[in-house]
Amino acid sequence: MRHRNSFLFAIPLVVLLAIALIPYIWIVLASFKERVDLITPFPKWIFEPTIVNYAEIFEKGFDTYLLNSIIIGFSSTALTVVVGTLAAYGFSRFKVPAGNHLFFFILATRLGPPVAYALPMYLIFKALGLVNTHFAVVLAHATFNLVLVVWMMRSFFNDVPREVEEAAYLDGCGHFRVFWRIALPMTYPGLITVSIFVLIFSWNELLFSLILTGGETRTLPVMIPSLVLHIGTLWGQVAAASIIQSIPVLVFIFFIQKNLVQGLTFGAVKG
Amino acid sequence: MGPVLLFLIIVVVAPLTLAIVDSLRDLSLTLLTKRGQYIGLDNFRDLIGADNKFYIAVAHTTIFVAVVVPIEFVLGLSMALWINREFAGRRLVLTILMIPTMIAPVVVGMIWRFLLMPSFGVLTIYLNRIGLFEEASVFSGSVSAFAALMMIDVWEWTPFIMLIMLAGLSAMPAAPVEAATIDGASRWQILRHIQLPLLRPLIIIALMLRAIDASKIFDTIHVLTGGGPGNATEVIATYAYRTNFLKWNLGYGAAICLVLAFASLIIAALFYKVVSGKPGDTVVP
Repeated sequence: MRHRNSFLFAIPLVVLLAIALIPYIWIVLASFKERVDLITPFPKWIFEPTIVNYAEIFEKGFDTYLLNSIIIGFSSTALTVVVGTLAAYGFSRFKVPAGNHLFFFILATRLGPPVAYALPMYLIFKALGLVNTHFAVVLAHATFNLVLVVWMMRSFFNDVPREVEEAAYLDGCGHFRVFWRIALPMTYPGLITVSIFVLIFSWNELLFSLILTGGETRTLPVMIPSLVLHIGTLWGQVAAASIIQSIPVLVFIFFIQKNLVQGLTFGAVKG
Repeated sequence: MGPVLLFLIIVVVAPLTLAIVDSLRDLSLTLLTKRGQYIGLDNFRDLIGADNKFYIAVAHTTIFVAVVVPIEFVLGLSMALWINREFAGRRLVLTILMIPTMIAPVVVGMIWRFLLMPSFGVLTIYLNRIGLFEEASVFSGSVSAFAALMMIDVWEWTPFIMLIMLAGLSAMPAAPVEAATIDGASRWQILRHIQLPLLRPLIIIALMLRAIDASKIFDTIHVLTGGGPGNATEVIATYAYRTNFLKWNLGYGAAICLVLAFASLIIAALFYKVVSGKPGDTVVP
């Protein structure tokens, strides 16, 4: 009976796994295929693997775009986490003038369509001569990720018992010392999770990168579709670039899985 | 508060002010006759009063949201009910199921473009073998292109709903379900009268987040159809992108941005009301 039950449980599960995974597997296979194996009326599941696609994208300066994505991802994460954590602590501990409105305003920046902010942001950066710089994209990514940090970190700070902080105040610590030495260390696990989320969202982001970068400052999500050419798409290279872009994400989701639901819902749902 | 205020002024307030100024001007980077003359509210009048393309994009977006979100919800909830038990390799299984949601939407788009490319896409080949899309490829027909985009969105986002529902189900107290089972309640009765009511707050959050995100869809459509064929898959985001960054019709584009920002403010207010209605306990299971 037990065996039959687990068998009945497993079959639909395998089907679900196949639906989620096979499209991805197919592009993994494609990244190791020669052109003759890629464009063929008879789909090939078994073939002689090659790394020529990976070699070709790096010859084309893929490392530049990879580095752009890394620089932009980490800088915007650092900026967002610093600004957002301070704000979250403020919202959690102090009476902020018009706090609720401000809190709502931060939420609105994320729920609105990015394309509505893209044009004004482009105009500002153009006026400042910052289009096609890393800095512009870093600021843009920080903007739409701020809400995630503020909302999640506020809920983590709310979980820190007040008594601990009050004891520190009695011992003569100032606000900043209490924040830095006591509240912040107690939220480290949450802080790391939030940082990973911000990093993934920046790493995957297309619209702002598309508008604010060009040529040598392009990020991976902008570079990958640019391999679709009028004369035909370089599918082997698209596949290779997509794999390199997505591998870090897969590794991260395995490790932050417990907090995945929290990050994807702005901290509204706890896993 | 200082840093975040300064930050918001630089990245939100200043750009929006600029957008308001530009929306009152006849400004284009490509047409020499439009050099930024002040034209009052003409841009808004044209947009709201007479822009068919805008309304078509709004209609497409509405249909898209109305179709994909319920499908994703039903499928996601079913998956969560199925997976909600302990078994070996659960963590790995969940990681794999979350792949479509977590990889870059650009990569999702490229994967499906590859699978569905004319003649040589693996899915096209198998579809051809059972007699479908032999004459024209999936993305060359208006209806099939739109349907394909919806299907891809379901593939991409159903795991997201599943994850939220799973969080709710695993945090749910076991007692009511056990008691009902002993009393002889059917699986459906348990779902209908015990599990769904307990999941209600999470269902609202999941549906709202999904509807908000689906209404903003850009990346996958940009990569797969660019809004075409014609404007068969044009949604609000691709329309605004086209107006601003392909036609460089900036004054008019700014008006579009402001209308969208205003609409999203209303949606955000609704979301905020739901999420913070009763702080703490309602939302978190």
